[in-house]
Amino acid sequence: MKLKTLAAATLAVATVIGMSACGGSGASSDDKTITFWHNASAGEGRQYWENLAKSFESANPGTKVEVQAIQNEDFAGKLQTAMQDPASGPDVFMSLGGAKTQEMIDAGQVMDLTDKISDTVKTDMKTTLSAATFDGKVYGVPVSVEPGGMWYSKDLFKKAGVSDVPATYEDLLADAKKLKDSGTDAIALGAKDAWPAAHWYYWLVLRECSSEVYDKSVQNHDFSNECWVNAGKKLQELNDLKVFNDGFLTTTAQQGANSSAGLLANHKAAMELMGAWEPGVLKDLTPDQKPMADLGFFAFPEVAGGEGEPGALMGGVTYFCVNPKASQTSIDFVNYMGEKKNQEDYAKAFSTIPASEPARGVVTDESLKQVIEYLDKSPSMQLWMDTALGTNIGNALNAAVVNMLSGQGSPEDIVKAMEDAAQKG
Amino acid sequence: MTEMNDAVAVGRPVAETKKRGGERKPSNGKGRRNLEIFILSAPAIILFCCFVILPIILGAYYGFYQWKGFGTPSENGKFVGLQNYIVALKDPNFQQAILHTFEIVIGSLVIQGPLAILFALLLNQKFKGRGLIRTLIFVPYVVSEVIVGTGWSLLLQKKGAVNQILESLGMHGVDWLANPKVAIWTLLLLISWKYIGFAVILMLAGMQSIPEELYEAAKVDGAGFWQIQKSITLPLLAPTLRIWVFLSMIGSLQLFDLVYIIWGQYVSTTAGVSTMATYMVREGRGAGNYGYGSAVALIIFVISLIVALTYQHFVLNRDLDGALTDKKAFKKRKKRQTAEDEALAVAMEGVK
Repeated sequence: MKLKTLAAATLAVATVIGMSACGGSGASSDDKTITFWHNASAGEGRQYWENLAKSFESANPGTKVEVQAIQNEDFAGKLQTAMQDPASGPDVFMSLGGAKTQEMIDAGQVMDLTDKISDTVKTDMKTTLSAATFDGKVYGVPVSVEPGGMWYSKDLFKKAGVSDVPATYEDLLADAKKLKDSGTDAIALGAKDAWPAAHWYYWLVLRECSSEVYDKSVQNHDFSNECWVNAGKKLQELNDLKVFNDGFLTTTAQQGANSSAGLLANHKAAMELMGAWEPGVLKDLTPDQKPMADLGFFAFPEVAGGEGEPGALMGGVTYFCVNPKASQTSIDFVNYMGEKKNQEDYAKAFSTIPASEPARGVVTDESLKQVIEYLDKSPSMQLWMDTALGTNIGNALNAAVVNMLSGQGSPEDIVKAMEDAAQKG
Repeated sequence: MTEMNDAVAVGRPVAETKKRGGERKPSNGKGRRNLEIFILSAPAIILFCCFVILPIILGAYYGFYQWKGFGTPSENGKFVGLQNYIVALKDPNFQQAILHTFEIVIGSLVIQGPLAILFALLLNQKFKGRGLIRTLIFVPYVVSEVIVGTGWSLLLQKKGAVNQILESLGMHGVDWLANPKVAIWTLLLLISWKYIGFAVILMLAGMQSIPEELYEAAKVDGAGFWQIQKSITLPLLAPTLRIWVFLSMIGSLQLFDLVYIIWGQYVSTTAGVSTMATYMVREGRGAGNYGYGSAVALIIFVISLIVALTYQHFVLNRDLDGALTDKKAFKKRKKRQTAEDEALAVAMEGVK
């Protein structure tokens, strides 16, 4: 009996201890060891970060970088939990971007790097640094820039008799019709993930609204200007042509041959509106697992009568932030990321455009080179609209666009959904 | 009646003997027993408090703030009182989600209940291959939701396998997943397919605990198969049925995974299959509105609690008496049991 009591008591104590032990996480104990979180959980990207950590360690004897790859979908949630107490959070981490980074800054969870970034970062990345700048202060070191645009199959365009890529939205509508008549799905759309569908709306807003109206609307969450509804109407015109792939509402963006990227990679759809990560995604989905041979790129066409700046782009910038409690080693590490050689390796490993301008010579992919051309010509690049607006309004916007495309809402409903969401956050 | 009283009368002296036995060493026995109760229940109580009670209290607290999940609500959030709750209850999307959830609660009961009883009746008979069919019916319940969801979402695509089979048969398939008029029925069908195995197993177990003598007696009295089922199986299966209804309702109220996997986090509202839980995840975690999400979670908790308590009070308590309630209820149960015994007797009369 005594033994039983003892065992039970031990169990109770163990439970209590076990539960309290759940708290602690990988906070670095000394100044030379840093923890680093990124989201490249597989393939060459993951290898790149491992290599970078090793070369940093050998360049700075005595330091140690503990690299943790976290699944992209889990990243935001895990970071948010870990940073509840910055002392236990990672020292260097991939930013969440836009409004979310702003919220972390407001909560005192990101270090102000304005005086700490190296001159290399300042000069090489001056065009992308703006994405990591809030209220005139720099909070991160960019590694890549990913503007969006139309990715298309040159073969399918030729087969349908479309010789030139469309320069205006009206051309795009006409070409889409031609492609549809030639027997393929003209446009691949992964509306299950919502954002790929909403990108059509972002771009049309960018073309319809003047840049002042756009900036003010996004900043003040005021969507009363007519151009917001007009953009929805333009998208409705495209939707009425029924040129999207059949069953787009339950199609994902990137997973498998039935996803929108898979449709393009397997020549079942002729084009897709997507960010500059597209070649890397397509590469894994083609029948032979090689880069898509006839892939082409053109910028989102201009809209007649629209007030947006011609050539304006929209895209994302990936950058890395530093924990305010972190040591000098962490600052050295993010500066190390920005060096030309490391940026070149980054571009190769991720098949993307590096943030550092001198490093862009390393890009060999034809379509990515075209993107760089547009990037050089472009007067400005806006952040993805949902990132800029924050997930609260952004998600409502994305879902509302999908709703309209499925025939259950009007262009006015999109604006209303954004205004309603503002009440919840 | 008299029999029952006798049973209780016999029961009492036994209890008193025990007590008297304890009086010999009162301090020792009682103290040890309390200690044992304390130690043995401590882990469960601690877990319950940490992972059920505390989160509810914290959720209620967060629900009063507009808070993005960074820092603490009092520092980085804005106190808004009941606004989150009002916005949620007024949001047509949430009202839709509640409606869908209750459609699923009722739909699964109506579809699965009769089917499960029929299947159980069938599988309770002796025939060749019974073991195989029993296993096959139970298989979907064992398969993980993620696999079921992914599999069916591929099969039911507009150009998926199901529609292609229908086409080769000369029929026109519908858009099973995306058409808002069809999607909720697709979901109900999938849920029934997935969870009917559980219901059947429960019913089978219930049927097997019915004494064989009753059936034999009924047969001797010349009752037909359906009459036997109606007058013996169904009434005596009632406790199992009541528990199954309760479990099914709770499961339906919390339905999340299948919807989330098949329709993703954005399309469920458009397709008309959003549930309370998918709404909470989309508007709370997905949108980064942790304050608002907590308010929604609390509303869901209250709704589920009301449903569960109502059901328990009016239907389930006859099965749970004694386990949950006090002596007064014991008397009540005694009364009811007598009534049931009488009903059973009458039923037997009916069979005769």
